[in-house]
Amino acid sequence: MSDSADTEILDIADLDQEAWQDYAIEQGWSDGLPLVMPTEASVARMVAAAHGDNEGFAAISPRQVVPTMASLAANAVMAGAKAAYFPTILAGLRGILDPSYNLHGSMATTHSCAPMVMVNGPLRQALDINCSSNCFGQGWRANASIGRAIQLILLNVGGGKPGVMDRSTQGSPAKYAFCFGENEEESPWLPFHVRRGFAPEDTVVTVMSGEAPHNINDHGSTSAEGLMTTFAHTIAQPGANTVYGKGPYMVVVGPEHAATFHRDGWGVDKLRDELWLRARIPLKHISEENLATYAATGHHATGDFLTICRGPEDIHISMAGGPGKHSAFIPSFGGTAVVSTRVKLPPAGIGA
Amino acid sequence: MRIVNPGFGLTPAGAEQATEGKVDWLNDPIVLFGNSKPNARELLEGVKAKLAGIRRTDNIDFVAKNSASQGAPLEMINDAAKKYRIALLALGD
Repeated sequence: MSDSADTEILDIADLDQEAWQDYAIEQGWSDGLPLVMPTEASVARMVAAAHGDNEGFAAISPRQVVPTMASLAANAVMAGAKAAYFPTILAGLRGILDPSYNLHGSMATTHSCAPMVMVNGPLRQALDINCSSNCFGQGWRANASIGRAIQLILLNVGGGKPGVMDRSTQGSPAKYAFCFGENEEESPWLPFHVRRGFAPEDTVVTVMSGEAPHNINDHGSTSAEGLMTTFAHTIAQPGANTVYGKGPYMVVVGPEHAATFHRDGWGVDKLRDELWLRARIPLKHISEENLATYAATGHHATGDFLTICRGPEDIHISMAGGPGKHSAFIPSFGGTAVVSTRVKLPPAGIGA
Repeated sequence: MRIVNPGFGLTPAGAEQATEGKVDWLNDPIVLFGNSKPNARELLEGVKAKLAGIRRTDNIDFVAKNSASQGAPLEMINDAAKKYRIALLALGD
């Protein structure tokens, strides 16, 4: 962290593009990729886009300092975000700062978790957030820079410097940026945010401290029952963090798999209940040493299996992606929650 | 040229450190506070063994929060603060 962190405006020497990148890296501000310079003017444009959001922020762990709107905006500028993305970035941050998300634990852990950011509602399309083919991947400025801005905030304001206060053993590509939208238009089910009690016209950001997506490939099954066999056994991994630190997980069903489930009459509730019953890890897949360790810390098997969550309410179902027979499973850190926050927009619209 | 500091933040209200009273390292009660991972206990047992060479150990106790991923419950922290003058923490993995 920079020694000059107690000064909001920094007066630095005139720097060309290359010198600026070197300077920013020296300050510890970079995720390894080039950064856009957070000039006063660019930060002011970002802040102006957030004037519908007037609430203060809690201190950000692990450094435990309270950000200002300008310092948050500076990170959004550096990430390459448009000003119009800023209210969405702030909603994601508010979710991450909810105590149930357990930011401090998820930053300090050796686990590879990163903030998963899923966007629902009309702003997805206005901002061109990818919800379809390659939605977890590269190619969309909104996905890339919204996810990256949140990561930079956690690095620079929160102090989550890799190897120092971010203690992840191996990290994850998801720590660069992990933002996608739900493919509401092609989903057979109600949008995720509506199922959580928000209005369809609300734009809502849902966050979870999760791993990068794990693929669920099933080209052969043509029934919901067949797909569930693949889903359940892919999800039931003895190496999941949640074998002992129980917590939520997200299943992002691809549109073709979703259509098969829907055709066979499986709604979200049925999917969740069946996963709860079937995505369980047989004890024979778990080492004796691990079983002893789990038992010593109060995590006992109730039968001939261990679960990876506390109940069906820990299993979250959404729909995203494009054509193809793939879905995804996103395990969580464990001691965390899935938090949804409505985006607060300026009265006039979506901002600059 | 002027830029906005992306690391800028304010110290939250009420974050002052407690500095009341002196600590007697040879006699005050100590809590050895672990994060519930197996190696934390090993580390703390090693600390207690070392302390045995320089001070009394009948008032040194072990406490572990029940989840490595969650913060210790406030009640547990408050109880420890009331009972002990010194806390040594171990984050084993």
